[in-house]
Amino acid sequence: MKMRMVTIALLLVCAGCSSMGVQPWEREVLAREDMQLTTDPLEAATDDHIYFSKEASSGGRGFGGGGCGCN
Amino acid sequence: MVSAAVAAGVTDMTSTSRRKERSVSATLAAATCALLGTTAAAPVDAQEEPKWDFNTSLLYYGEDGNRVQDASLKSIIRRLFADDRTLTLGLTVDGLTGATPSGAIRQDVPQSFTRPSGNASYVVPAGELPLDDTFKDTRVAITAGWQQPAGEKGLLSVGFSASKEYDYLHTGVNASYAHDFNNRNTTVSAGFAFASDSIEPVGGAPIPFTSMLDVGEISNRVGDQDKDVLDVVFGVSQVISKNLLVQANYSFSQSDGYLNNPYKVLSLVDGVTGDTLLRAPGIEGGPSGVFLFESRPDARTQHSLYTQAKYYMNGKVLDASYRYMTDDWEIDSHTLDLRYRWPIGDSSYLEPHVRYYTQTEAEFYRLSLDDSAPLPQFASSDYRLGNFDAITAGVKYGWKTRNDNDMSIRVEWYTQSGTVPAGQLIGNQASRDNYPDLNALIVQFSYRFSR
Repeated sequence: MKMRMVTIALLLVCAGCSSMGVQPWEREVLAREDMQLTTDPLEAATDDHIYFSKEASSGGRGFGGGGCGCN
Repeated sequence: MVSAAVAAGVTDMTSTSRRKERSVSATLAAATCALLGTTAAAPVDAQEEPKWDFNTSLLYYGEDGNRVQDASLKSIIRRLFADDRTLTLGLTVDGLTGATPSGAIRQDVPQSFTRPSGNASYVVPAGELPLDDTFKDTRVAITAGWQQPAGEKGLLSVGFSASKEYDYLHTGVNASYAHDFNNRNTTVSAGFAFASDSIEPVGGAPIPFTSMLDVGEISNRVGDQDKDVLDVVFGVSQVISKNLLVQANYSFSQSDGYLNNPYKVLSLVDGVTGDTLLRAPGIEGGPSGVFLFESRPDARTQHSLYTQAKYYMNGKVLDASYRYMTDDWEIDSHTLDLRYRWPIGDSSYLEPHVRYYTQTEAEFYRLSLDDSAPLPQFASSDYRLGNFDAITAGVKYGWKTRNDNDMSIRVEWYTQSGTVPAGQLIGNQASRDNYPDLNALIVQFSYRFSR
């Protein structure tokens, strides 16, 4: 059931996408380093590892922290 | 992503005279490709792009009350090749020391325990939370990733990861594919990661629900264990406007195998007083009470939904994300993360960060085991499977050095506070502080340069 809801949500997001967005010459801001989804990969990897070790949830952004005996 | 920004800068730097010679559409096409970091239709006269990107950080993570301390060195090295192919290598070295909760409850009398190795014992004073202070480990982790365009609108990534600790070995592979649609305003991606880990607990893996034994006794220990983890992620990112970008990911994670923590125990308590049942330690030392090794299911399925938005507001950037996770251990969690990047002058910024996390307890989370009731099928008192909230608050300051390298320092505080479900408290337990709250300081210094 949860899977189905997620699939529907993703499809809705995609369906709405075709009318959104910008032209290629309007990407100045989007190309900025501070507008990337992961601005600082080292910090992101560090945080994923800390929270993987201390909490029962992991991942989401990409793959889970994983790879340690800390959990 | 870094390459995209760098490439965009390079495109802007082409000389005006040359620029006139090219048609506007060709320039735009080249710029677009460069911005998206896909096919490198970069102008031939462009200044040479940096080929290497070195990103290194030093981290200190320290918990209050002599608990876990970690000093960590992390490096990510990226090599850019022609046609936007990228090799990324990562190295992490962690030095861990300190004490960690054993899972036993506080008592009004001193308690003794056998160390995980089975070779010695230690004493915890009356009223104090039992911590096992033998935690000492060095962890080395490596990652390698290769990324390359696949067709005009696709991007393919494959990777490998491995890490080694004294009692743990991880090896994993991953692959993902991202495809651009709709004038590159929509990117759909799918990926998987598979990990095969082996666990070699100090002193051997204890058989679940057997008692902690006296020093020198190893009859309840068995050999090495292993577990497999499969992660699958589907994602969509969408440009909404010139200033707004959003992302949504669904992840599925399946773990199978040995999911216990081999060092965690539960106190077996009297059904009326809630106090730990006593026993006489052996001649060479041993536990003063009855402590049973934890028992978790050998499979876990997690689903999570992650959403993120990046919004540019006149120089400032808001980064907001939310994650919902649910699993078949009946843990549900919510994570809200907010970062606000505030430029100071042209070459530095301040970035406050807050994160809120909350989770419900696993269905088999137990503070202790009741001697007067039958043993449940599974039980763990690991605080990470309990009901708690956590807050992270901090700030990062970043600046460009004179030779255009990036430096940053961040300081954050992480605090966890949990509660044991009232229905689990027996007798005297109701008047004790049962949950091992956590306070940690995080300091990270990062340096990044390209050449």
